[in-house]
Amino acid sequence: MERDVFSRCHPLTGFVYFFCAICFCAVVRHPMYLAAGFLAGLFYFLLLHGEAGMKKLPGMVPFLLVVAALNPVLNPRGETVLFTLFGRPYTLEALVYGVVLAGMLGTMLVWFGCFSTVLTGEKIVYLFAPIAPALSLVLVMTMRLIPSFQRKLARLAGARRCIGFGLEEQTRWRGKLRCGAALLASLTDWALEGSIITADAMRARGYGTGKRTHYRAYRLSARDGMLLGLTLGLSTAAVTFGGMQAEFLPSVSMERPGWGLAVYCLLLALPVLAWGKEELQWRWCIRRI
Amino acid sequence: MALVHTQNLSFAYPGKEKKTLDNVSLTIEKGEYVVLCGRSGSGKTTLLRHLKSVLTPNGRRSGGVCFDGRPLSDLNAGEQARRIGFVMQSTEDQLVTDEVWHELAFGLESLGMDENTMRLRVAEMASFFGMEGWFHRNVGELSGGQKQLLNLASILAMEPELLILDEPASQLDPIAAGNFLDTVRRVHQELGTTVIITEHRLEDIFPAADRVIVMEDGHIAAQGSPTAVSEALWRGRMPMFSALPTPIRAFWQAEGGGKPPLTVREGHRWLREAFPDRPEVAALPENVSRFSETDAAVCVRDIWFRYGRNAPDVLKGVTLTIPRGCLYAMVGGNGTGKSTLLKTLCGVCTPYRGRVQLFGRSLRHIPKGELYRGCVSMLPQDPRELFAHQTLREELEEMGADAERIRDIAALCRVEALLDAHPYDLSGGEQQRGALAKVLLTGPKLLLLDEPTKGMDSTFKAEFAALLRELTRRGTTVVLVSHDIEFCAEYADLVGMLFDGGLLTQDIPRRFFSRNSFYTTAAGRMSRGVFQNAVTAADVALLYMENKGGQE
Repeated sequence: MERDVFSRCHPLTGFVYFFCAICFCAVVRHPMYLAAGFLAGLFYFLLLHGEAGMKKLPGMVPFLLVVAALNPVLNPRGETVLFTLFGRPYTLEALVYGVVLAGMLGTMLVWFGCFSTVLTGEKIVYLFAPIAPALSLVLVMTMRLIPSFQRKLARLAGARRCIGFGLEEQTRWRGKLRCGAALLASLTDWALEGSIITADAMRARGYGTGKRTHYRAYRLSARDGMLLGLTLGLSTAAVTFGGMQAEFLPSVSMERPGWGLAVYCLLLALPVLAWGKEELQWRWCIRRI
Repeated sequence: MALVHTQNLSFAYPGKEKKTLDNVSLTIEKGEYVVLCGRSGSGKTTLLRHLKSVLTPNGRRSGGVCFDGRPLSDLNAGEQARRIGFVMQSTEDQLVTDEVWHELAFGLESLGMDENTMRLRVAEMASFFGMEGWFHRNVGELSGGQKQLLNLASILAMEPELLILDEPASQLDPIAAGNFLDTVRRVHQELGTTVIITEHRLEDIFPAADRVIVMEDGHIAAQGSPTAVSEALWRGRMPMFSALPTPIRAFWQAEGGGKPPLTVREGHRWLREAFPDRPEVAALPENVSRFSETDAAVCVRDIWFRYGRNAPDVLKGVTLTIPRGCLYAMVGGNGTGKSTLLKTLCGVCTPYRGRVQLFGRSLRHIPKGELYRGCVSMLPQDPRELFAHQTLREELEEMGADAERIRDIAALCRVEALLDAHPYDLSGGEQQRGALAKVLLTGPKLLLLDEPTKGMDSTFKAEFAALLRELTRRGTTVVLVSHDIEFCAEYADLVGMLFDGGLLTQDIPRRFFSRNSFYTTAAGRMSRGVFQNAVTAADVALLYMENKGGQE
């Protein structure tokens, strides 16, 4: 993540960019646009996740195939009938539409995968802190509590296992249920006790004494401005040029893409291009050394 | 000039007759470093909480508290938050937010500070504490020591004039605790902040204190310089004497002459000056191990363990025999595999190579139901992890034992009077005893304890050791892992040292600790080169008196 440009930018820049990119991916059905969006997202995803990303991707393929194949079963419209299934026509157009739908889903998944890596929970909460300070603090605290509950639950289960109340050792479901309930009670007690201390610690540090200000850990820089400008400019241009209309049912027809596609590609490849630019810059710097 | 002043402060919790604070009059000067000590339940925490209004408990109160010449109640909440910092015991629960930078800024945000000042303060604190490397980390990833330093830093960011620390290092291992207490001393010396601190481990803070205040049953029993207080505790035969650092305890017990030593270095000099030549009796008799090697409770042969396929090995060929009925202490630094070894002994971790035998049977062949009923049981580091019910009685009944047996065990652990209390309302020591009772109800032949003395005061340690002794006398084998080498030296039958995933050496405590020169007790370090095998303050005092008595 360290080498990704958007990960190092102000959260606002990343948020606006992903908002635009994901909106386009959710709306555009034109196969060429779709392919461009998918490839750009896939490339970005692999850059962000490296080898681990390779392992995550094949999992969604069967799901997408099912979506593509299932669409004609549910939707009998279309002109070219391939065969009939349960007395309903299975048409080529509906199948094409199914493939497009699956493509949209896949694209969205890939882009959301990038989104959640670049804009972590903390960054999103940070972004909304000035608008809803109380809510954002609650979210920050909750985000800390969930992993700490998970860790504690594992410890509690381990501790109770050593006195013979392990879930694994219980053979009957009643025993399992009783052990689970005791574990939950134990976690609740611990959490309540902890929350009293946290409340004390908050009040001891002046929480609730007046209006809270907000520490800004990120600053908007010139680069943020440039990236924001590029994002918004390219998005507007893509909408203005158009050429992304496509119809599949009852017959397949699509617009001829023109400059719009080029602008669209540029927009969605922005993170990859920015990454490449920095990479080249590094190479250049190193060569000069 | 007085920064804090309490005038005849008395306090009782609602529904309690007994006063928790009884007529406490106390003055703390600006820039002082005050150590407040006393047994658990002597009213230390209650007194400290009276110095900050938002933390003051409800109850009947008389007398008053002044801060900087004004009644404390006249200072508004924001002013108190800024000027009086309070660090508590729990490392985890004091943290509010999820990232280090946010935690540092939290107090400043609450006080409504403007952004530029806030940025500067946060940067200052991060550099003072050397936090640059983990400034953007998630707090969940930090170690216990780092978390507590972060708690301290986020309080200091508000630049308090008075810093109150209530047992801040009791949840930390000795190295992290030493590091934390050093930092507190640095804050006192470099920033001039007034510090009031309570702590069970006095070794690190006692010698440096400007003033020591001893509390007993809600009143101040003694106060003054460390040396004067130690003398008062010795002359008055007060229980807090046992909590003092080893050198000064040895000094008073030996009734020797010279300047009372506060640190190991001073203790060493004191012994050197007392015995310029080699003392006549330099060694105490060594009682040989009374356990037979053939009757083993635990027999571990060449076990290897790692937590994941690609994780590093934690145990690397441990071979170990623990005789039946002994109190075995396993010592060693952090990450040497002590806790993991305990987990393999109770079957939670299964080694991928080697074998573990309990009482002559392979651990793998003992059915799970039988294993945790009458064979092995473990008391976790935090005793609260075993509690899941509303009263201690219900906790014990959960174990499915009959009433008579519950009565027996409750009497053994001395928790009969506490059976109707909520487990979380008990003090740390009482929780430990309650959890131990629960563990003992499984009837273990092998009892495993993970860091049992963490956060215990010295008097309770002695009681706890007596309880363990009673268990071993009844035939239970007790294995504990601990950082507390003073405890191991004093009470264990055998001590083993784990290093780099293997057992280095194993011996009776006297031989074990007298052979080591760094990893040994304070008494062992201060008597090095003078006495051969003194490992406790009592040993040093005994040898001192024997030699001095011979000279006269």
